[in-house]
Amino acid sequence: MRGVSFASVTGTMLLTAFLLLSLGFAVEGSFETRGEIANTFARQAQIQQAQIDLEELLRLQIDEENSLRGYLLTRDPFYNAEYRSASTGYDEKEAAIRKTLGNQLLGANKLLADYARLQLEWRNTVAAPLLAHPRLRLEELDKRNKLFSDYETLTAAAIRRELAGTDDELERSTQMQLDRSSYLRAAWVLAFGLLAIVLNAYRTRLNRELEEERAVTRVLQKAFRSESTPLPHCDVGSAYLSASSDRAVGGDVFDVYRVSENQALILIADISGKGVDAAVLTAFVKFMVRAIALRSTDPMAILTEFNVVLSKAVADPYIFVSMFVGLLDTDTFALRYASGGHDTAFVRRRNDVVQLAITGPVLGVMEEPFGAETIYLQPGDTLVLATDGLTEVRNRAGEQLSGQGAMELIERASPGAQQLADELAAAVRERGGSRVRDDLAILAIRVLDGAVASA
Amino acid sequence: MLKACAFLVVCLTLVSANALADCRVHRGEHVVLFSTTDDPSVLMWDSRTRLREYHAASFDEAQAMLPHAVLASPGTHGDVVTCLPGYVVSPLFTSPDDAVGVTISSGPLKGTVRWVLGSDVRPRHKN
Repeated sequence: MRGVSFASVTGTMLLTAFLLLSLGFAVEGSFETRGEIANTFARQAQIQQAQIDLEELLRLQIDEENSLRGYLLTRDPFYNAEYRSASTGYDEKEAAIRKTLGNQLLGANKLLADYARLQLEWRNTVAAPLLAHPRLRLEELDKRNKLFSDYETLTAAAIRRELAGTDDELERSTQMQLDRSSYLRAAWVLAFGLLAIVLNAYRTRLNRELEEERAVTRVLQKAFRSESTPLPHCDVGSAYLSASSDRAVGGDVFDVYRVSENQALILIADISGKGVDAAVLTAFVKFMVRAIALRSTDPMAILTEFNVVLSKAVADPYIFVSMFVGLLDTDTFALRYASGGHDTAFVRRRNDVVQLAITGPVLGVMEEPFGAETIYLQPGDTLVLATDGLTEVRNRAGEQLSGQGAMELIERASPGAQQLADELAAAVRERGGSRVRDDLAILAIRVLDGAVASA
Repeated sequence: MLKACAFLVVCLTLVSANALADCRVHRGEHVVLFSTTDDPSVLMWDSRTRLREYHAASFDEAQAMLPHAVLASPGTHGDVVTCLPGYVVSPLFTSPDDAVGVTISSGPLKGTVRWVLGSDVRPRHKN
């Protein structure tokens, strides 16, 4: 690829990873804040319950005093019973507040203990003597009662202040946590927004570059791609299927070129790499093979010579070509071919399909001699040549079609060459859906049924 | 001229400070004694120092001081002799309270002078 550089893709991946990491931290932070706020709310609920219980406690204490006064004034046992009931209620409520406060709020706990001690002492030193001797209304007892009353009122007020202070503090703390959480969330949203904008800009740029590249490549490919040349006694069909729109265009090429009245050179090749570089190489392959064929039409010689030229012309070790070159005699239907690592070549004869063996390695990798094979086609036979887009197309489960799958497709296809090519392309499009990763070139040559091979 | 202005500023500051620290009742004012609604009777002390100590003391210390106090029924009348603003301080008070010297004008203690807490006196409006 030219413009869509490795660095751009790496940058996008790094940004995405950073985004995911940040998202993880943000989610974790949100849960933490939620936990803190829930904890604060729970404490606040405790304080508020203690405040309610405290008011109830004060009411019970007043009930105690009023019942005592009622008894002293009327001597009615009803008030004595009321006094006992209020005392019991007071003790239970005091225990409940202690339980609510637990080990927290030491200040309020201490004040509550003082309050309970005062009440107990009041019962022992004021209430008990008066209950025992209702007529005993000494001034000294009245003063002690006043003393208790003063202290209890003040202590209760102090407890109220302590609880209210803690409640306010917790409320401030909750507000601070909420503020902090809001600011953090705003910061995260801002960061994510900016990152999303950057990523989107990256993606837009990549898409634009890819689209430009595809446009250029398509123009080049259209210029270099052969139309199906008519051959005597043969039916020729072809198809070309482009990869998904988000993929770079590959370097697939085919050519049918008549070198004489009764001889045709058949070429199909797949150049490694994609984009403009591959498209340019496509043209190079097509015209170089034609140029070599001017001197020798022997497929083995063409591949051997082309391999030398390619190795010298292209310095990039990652560029290589799989190529099938065949010389078809349209009188005898003898096909002499050489296949440099191009295994997507098949012959269909009636209901049987065979895969043509390769006769050498891919080109551009090493200088090795190439072999050649000769087969004789019969009327009704179809030579099917394709690029690896046929066998490597994947279904939804990610499974490749494979050579066997391709052979089964060819076996079931219609007899006509063009129909066969179209059906294969349709099958690939259906299998790959939007995930067709590679271009596909198909060339089909069918020997017509009525053709008679001349000796 | 400058000195006169400075003098004026000082005077105004002093007057403002006095106003801020003013008592809730004033000398000669007729008052009624009434404490809290929970227990409206009022403890009256024989000296302002004991009044202050009673509120600053612990419960046990305060109890020991009770012989120096007299309990007045709520509604007892009196006339303000003097008032000391913010004289009584207690760890349980939110802010200091006044100490008010009162001549009792009703009840068994009529004619005696006692000290009471500022919040225990209410101005009385004669008809």
